Amino acid sequence: MNREMTADSGSTDSSRLTRIEAVAIVLTAVPVLCAIFAPAIATFDPLAVSDAVSQPPPALRELPSLIWGVLFEQLPAPHWFGSDSSGMDVFSRTLYAARVDLVIAFSANILSYIVGVTLGVVCGFRSNLVTESIARIADLVQSFPVFITAMILVALAGRTWGNIIFAMSLLYAPIYLRLTRTEALKVKARGFVEASTAMGNSPIRILYIHILPNSLGPALIQFSVTIGFAILLTAGLSFVGAGVNPPTPEWGAMIAQGSTQLVLGDWWVSIFPGIAISLTVFGFALAGYALERRFET
Amino acid sequence: MTKFVLKRLGVGLIQIVSLMVLVFFLIRLLPADPVARFVGLNASAEAYAQAEISLGLDKPVLEQFKIYLLGDEQADGLIHGSLGNSWISGSPVLYHIGLTLPATLELILLSFLISVSLAIPIGVAGATSPNGAVNKGTLIYGLFAGSQPEFSWGTIFIFLFFVVLDVAPGPLGRISPLTEPPDPVTGMIVVDSLIAGRPDLLLESLWYLSLPVLTLSFVLTGPIIKMVRENVSQSMSLGFIQYGEAVGLSKKMLASDSLLAAVAPTLTLIGILFSFMLGGAVLIESMFSINGLGQFSLQSVLAMDYPAIQGVVIVISSLTLLVYLLLDVTQALLDPRLRA
Repeated sequence: MNREMTADSGSTDSSRLTRIEAVAIVLTAVPVLCAIFAPAIATFDPLAVSDAVSQPPPALRELPSLIWGVLFEQLPAPHWFGSDSSGMDVFSRTLYAARVDLVIAFSANILSYIVGVTLGVVCGFRSNLVTESIARIADLVQSFPVFITAMILVALAGRTWGNIIFAMSLLYAPIYLRLTRTEALKVKARGFVEASTAMGNSPIRILYIHILPNSLGPALIQFSVTIGFAILLTAGLSFVGAGVNPPTPEWGAMIAQGSTQLVLGDWWVSIFPGIAISLTVFGFALAGYALERRFET
Repeated sequence: MTKFVLKRLGVGLIQIVSLMVLVFFLIRLLPADPVARFVGLNASAEAYAQAEISLGLDKPVLEQFKIYLLGDEQADGLIHGSLGNSWISGSPVLYHIGLTLPATLELILLSFLISVSLAIPIGVAGATSPNGAVNKGTLIYGLFAGSQPEFSWGTIFIFLFFVVLDVAPGPLGRISPLTEPPDPVTGMIVVDSLIAGRPDLLLESLWYLSLPVLTLSFVLTGPIIKMVRENVSQSMSLGFIQYGEAVGLSKKMLASDSLLAAVAPTLTLIGILFSFMLGGAVLIESMFSINGLGQFSLQSVLAMDYPAIQGVVIVISSLTLLVYLLLDVTQALLDPRLRA
């Protein structure tokens, strides 16, 4: 029994959402919705350059009249988050960047989840030379310096979305493999698996109907946390110039682009995408914590 | 104990060697053309062929590996303790690493010193007040700071403390570009200015390091607080602590006893974070113009400088291994059960 249980709202009614769960849902849903509906919400083409360079966002006290004007008087939308040094609209770019970052993060995680869980469940169920070597290789990959390895893979293979996704899948699959293997080892030793074997079920069937479904949990909880890692890695690579090519709207690249003007006082180019990435990764971290609390008590 | 250390060293050595082999072949497997990068896109076919020969890339990969490992008439190999010469500068890779590693170590050691000394008391405070605001606050802070991108917070801190408040220096490196740095002995400016007996330089370098260290400490305190908090609160429900509570030991004594039980997982986490930061510091380094190991590896990767890339990976993994070994030994010293 863990004292931590009392840290949350204290409600034992599992059908109700705790406050942390509610915040986690909002913080993860908003960027996902922004990514899906970016074309509908964005007020400018994210790649359109204009003469309005380095314009600050409208002042707070002007916001109500501006919003009123855009909604009811058909006035053209201002640069809500200002514009960058090429005159591109920071608001629209921040929205479209959610697409780039989330698509890369989710693709990489789905790919590494499928590979990691499949190999993990087999490695936990059967112990022979092949599965032992797979587990050792996974350990070795996990000892790689993550950021440097990702940088090497992406920069040498070519800075495309696909290569970023493959590089991250390679780095994250061992996480899922390890978690699932440990779980499969535990499940394998339980009574119902023994009973199923005694009833004459084939190993493949046991693997599929007993071991697999009962070993998925920890990897699923990890999924949310690793999405956050993947967003940070994607943005980090672009931040140092080893990720997606500019002028693709991407949070890390936008922060890097803005940081050169930051010392001159143009804060908005960096700060708005920075807030977007901060809240998004916090949302996925909270979601991971909430899932862990709910299912692993 | 000696046997334990030797066993760990052996396992680590195998790991480094396999990593070295893997990196060597992996970068040659990827569809990159370092020769074209080296001679430029408009080079003639002869210049291209010439460069290919001078970089040694005309030979079969296995032959290249043999030369890297054993050396040839012109250069020493890995067994002679050489990591080869950088293709870009022509100087030994080890020289570049020796130049840049101290800057990274200085940055992350200072950050770890500050984060650990802040995170442990905060984590314990969070764990020992089960239902209060402190408990919730440390939980949320740990989750929040632990998930954050340091490069985004770096921009926020630069804007706030340099541009708006003007209380911190701009992102110009480890010391003012106008100041003559102390003679390099360790390469860490903070230590070197102490050796040179120059308190003014010490203060200046600490001042220049304040924002990068603040940024790194902010993201590092998150996971450490979370770990300390979870483990202390878990060990608070262990038998010997509950016994202590029952016989009326003070809250302070109970906290320090449960902290001891939380040392092992916290040390492991610090090791993982440290090894991550050795390479991951590149984000902070490029933001604050610190010429560290991360910057060197970034430049090598972008220039497709294979010997430099191999060298960086070998050095980072060896350092990581060394840190893990030190942590394992510390833990085994603390807990005899681990000396298996």
